[in-house]
Amino acid sequence: MHIPDGFIAPQMYVPAYGLAGAMWALAARRLRESFDEDSIPKLAVLSAFCFAAMMLMIPLPGGSSAHASGLAVPAIVFGPWTAFVAVSLVLAMQALLFGNGGITTLPVNALALGLAGATVAWASYRALRNVNENAALFAAGWLSVNCPALILAIALGLQPAIASTADGKPLFFPFGLSVTLPAIMIPHALVGIGEGVLTILIYRAIEKRGWTAS
Amino acid sequence: MRNSKTSRPALSRDHLALAAYAAAVVTATMIHRPAILAAALAAVLAAAGNKRREILRRAAFSVVFFNSVVSAAYLAASMLGGNFSWEYLALVNVRVLLLACLAFLFMARANIFKALSFAPALAYLFALAYSQSMALLGLLEDFAAAAKSRSIGRASLGRRYRLAAAAGAAVLDKAMHNSEELSLAMRSRGFFEGNDSDV
Repeated sequence: MHIPDGFIAPQMYVPAYGLAGAMWALAARRLRESFDEDSIPKLAVLSAFCFAAMMLMIPLPGGSSAHASGLAVPAIVFGPWTAFVAVSLVLAMQALLFGNGGITTLPVNALALGLAGATVAWASYRALRNVNENAALFAAGWLSVNCPALILAIALGLQPAIASTADGKPLFFPFGLSVTLPAIMIPHALVGIGEGVLTILIYRAIEKRGWTAS
Repeated sequence: MRNSKTSRPALSRDHLALAAYAAAVVTATMIHRPAILAAALAAVLAAAGNKRREILRRAAFSVVFFNSVVSAAYLAASMLGGNFSWEYLALVNVRVLLLACLAFLFMARANIFKALSFAPALAYLFALAYSQSMALLGLLEDFAAAAKSRSIGRASLGRRYRLAAAAGAAVLDKAMHNSEELSLAMRSRGFFEGNDSDV
């Protein structure tokens, strides 16, 4: 889902680095309060789990599949700040070790997937778990895909407005919100159903192993 | 990180490579003339030496899907709207390819773990996360291979969901087990002694 380098203008990625930097500092402070000396290995393996979870495939009807975001389960089990740091580390690893995503788009991707996606998944689960836990897990999975997709659709759709030539030619991503919102949100609304089902099944499986919500 | 203030390494070739890479990326996003970006791309490939084919191949492979979709959609929309610009199409494709080539050149020339050693805890976290990711990826591949070897024909949608969920749960289980092992290993080697963690 994340955006590659070259489609986000400096007018957006520079302030996004400022905001993401502040959020990373805040997350590090909160983790120091709740973690002990094991914080480095724990964060490392959680990042590795997020990396592997992103490699899981959501089965789709007809034998096809789509990559899972894998955000909801770590957000529910370990909390949104831990998931934010872990996902940010995964995105940095993908950019610097595998050439996926990019370093100009890292803060936008981290804020959308890691912060907004994980927070919304965690909050929706906590809000709904006393009503119906399966519905809460499904909502967490669906929102963990669709909230970041909405933010990335807005980030891409704003590019023509913030970075164009004097005669209106785009300099980065060429399409406005009227194109990016339906083009990104409609497929993600459908993929989110699979993510929601997968979130229920993974959570139920790890619950049997003794892992539950933070 | 233990003794991070006293053992912080001097500026190395890898640090300079990281700084140069970041500066080149920012500069490339501030230039909007395709000819200049194409010249920069040629310079990057020349700097890659005998790795230029491999770097160009990997860079092109990493951007081809997203760029093709955006370029084809732009071509169709702008042709219909009567505002087509070859210059834009060249600009965005050359810039994205240049940025991808810069990333792969950096990966080929520098050691990212050493480049991050200005923040020792971050470098350690990065190295651990990478090694653990590879281990968990191996587990996922084992799961996929096991599922394939036990299936005759195409598995049903429900069965594929159950397999994906079992793989996800096994990965989390393995991750937490590895976390405990790593903590014990690091503690037994005195990693945490006198450590004011800077994570």
